Amino acid sequence: MAENTLALISFVLTLMVFSYLLGDLPLIRHLYRIAVYLLIGTSAAFTLIVGYEYLLLPFWQDVQNPATSWTALGNQADLLLFVTALLFAALLLLKPVTRLGWLTNSILAVVVVMGAAVGVVGALRGTLLPLLEATARLPALDADLGSLLESLLVLLGTLTALFSFHYQANASGDGRRYGLSKAFRTIGKAFVVTALGAIYASTILSSLTILTERIAFLFQYGA
Amino acid sequence: MNRRPRVGISMAAMTGFLVGVTAILSLLLGDNPALFGGGAQADALAQDFALPGDVLLRLLVIVLALSIVFGIANLLIVHTRRVAHGRLMSGVLLASFAGAIGWHITRRGDTSLLETIQLPIESALAALLCITLVAGGARILARRSDIWGLLFVLVVVVVLLGSLPLPELAPIAAFSDWLMRIPVQAGARAILLGIALGSIVVGVRALLGQDRSVRG
Repeated sequence: MAENTLALISFVLTLMVFSYLLGDLPLIRHLYRIAVYLLIGTSAAFTLIVGYEYLLLPFWQDVQNPATSWTALGNQADLLLFVTALLFAALLLLKPVTRLGWLTNSILAVVVVMGAAVGVVGALRGTLLPLLEATARLPALDADLGSLLESLLVLLGTLTALFSFHYQANASGDGRRYGLSKAFRTIGKAFVVTALGAIYASTILSSLTILTERIAFLFQYGA
Repeated sequence: MNRRPRVGISMAAMTGFLVGVTAILSLLLGDNPALFGGGAQADALAQDFALPGDVLLRLLVIVLALSIVFGIANLLIVHTRRVAHGRLMSGVLLASFAGAIGWHITRRGDTSLLETIQLPIESALAALLCITLVAGGARILARRSDIWGLLFVLVVVVVLLGSLPLPELAPIAAFSDWLMRIPVQAGARAILLGIALGSIVVGVRALLGQDRSVRG
C-alpha cells in the first residue's frame, strides 16, 4: 500500500480519537467509538498472533524435536508436560459444569497459586528485600552532614508513609487518632501525597510529549 | 439452601497449597547454590530444587497462553452475537480482527498495519490522557480543596515547572530535583513496599485456599 495512503489512515484515525474532545455531538460521537473498536479488534488479533507464534508454536516445535529439552527430565517429559497443559486448559473450559467443579477448581487453584507463588517470590526478591536494604543503608560516618540528613529523611519518610497505610482504630472507636500516631500518619501522608503528585506530573509530561508528537503529525500531514 | 461441595473445595485448596509451597521453595532455593554450601555438589542440589519450579512455570505459561486464546475466542463469540442483534460497532471489531489476521497471513513480516492503525490510535489515546489528567488536577482543586489536595497540586506544578528548560526557573528546577531525590523517593519506596507486602499477603491467602478463585 502506498505510504501516503497509510499516512492518511493514521491521520484520520488520530482525528477520530481526538473527536472525543468535542463531546457528545451527533454522528461525531461514533467516530471515537469506531476508533476504539478498531483498536480492540487489531489488539486481539496481534495478541493471538504473538501468543501462537512466540509461545505455543515454539513450545510445540521443541516438543517435536527429540534433541531439545526444556528441563533436565528430557524430551519425553516435555511432551507429557505439554499434553498436561493442553488437558488443563481444556478442563478449564468445563468450569460452567457444576458437577465437575471439584476438578476445574483444582486446576484453577494450580494456575492461581502458581501465579501467586511467582508474585510472592518476585515481591520478596525483586522489591521487598532490595528496597528494605536500600532504605536501611546509611551513608558512611565520614560522609557530609547533608547526605546523612537526606538518608535519614528518606528513612523517616519511608517508615512514616508505611505507617500511614496501616489502619488503626482507637479504643473509643470514634475513628479519630491522637498523639504520636496521628503525627506519624500526617508526616507519612505528606510523603505519599508528594510521591503521588510527582508520579502524576511525570505522567502528564509523558502524555504531553505524545500529544505534541501527534499534533506535529497532524500539522505535517495537513500541510 | 445453596450448599457448597466441601470435598471439591478442600481438594482444590489442598492441591493449590501443595503446588504453591513446592513452587515457592523451588523458586527461592533453586538458583541459590550458596545456600547449600557451594561447590559442585551444591550446584547439583540447587538444580534439583529448581526443577519442580521450572516444570510448573512451563505448565503455567502454556495454560496461560491457551487461556488467552480462549479469551479471544470468547470475545469474538460475544461480538458475533451482538452483530446478530444489530450492534454495528461489534462488526467493526470483527472486521478489524479478521483484517489484521488476514494481513498477517498474506503479508508475513509486514508491520505497516501495526504502524498505521495500532500506533496512531494508541498514541492519540495517550495524548488524550494529558488533557484528562490536567482536567483531573483542576477538579482536585475545585472539589477537594484541603491541605492534601493543595499539596498534591503544588507538587504537580513544581515538577512541571521544574522540567521547563528556562534559566529563570532554575531555583524551581533545583527544588524539583531535591523533591524527586528525597520526599518522592521515600514516598515511592513506601508505596512499592506496600504493594510488595500486599502481593505477599494475597499470595499467601491464595496458597492457604482463602482466595475466592481457589474456593470456587
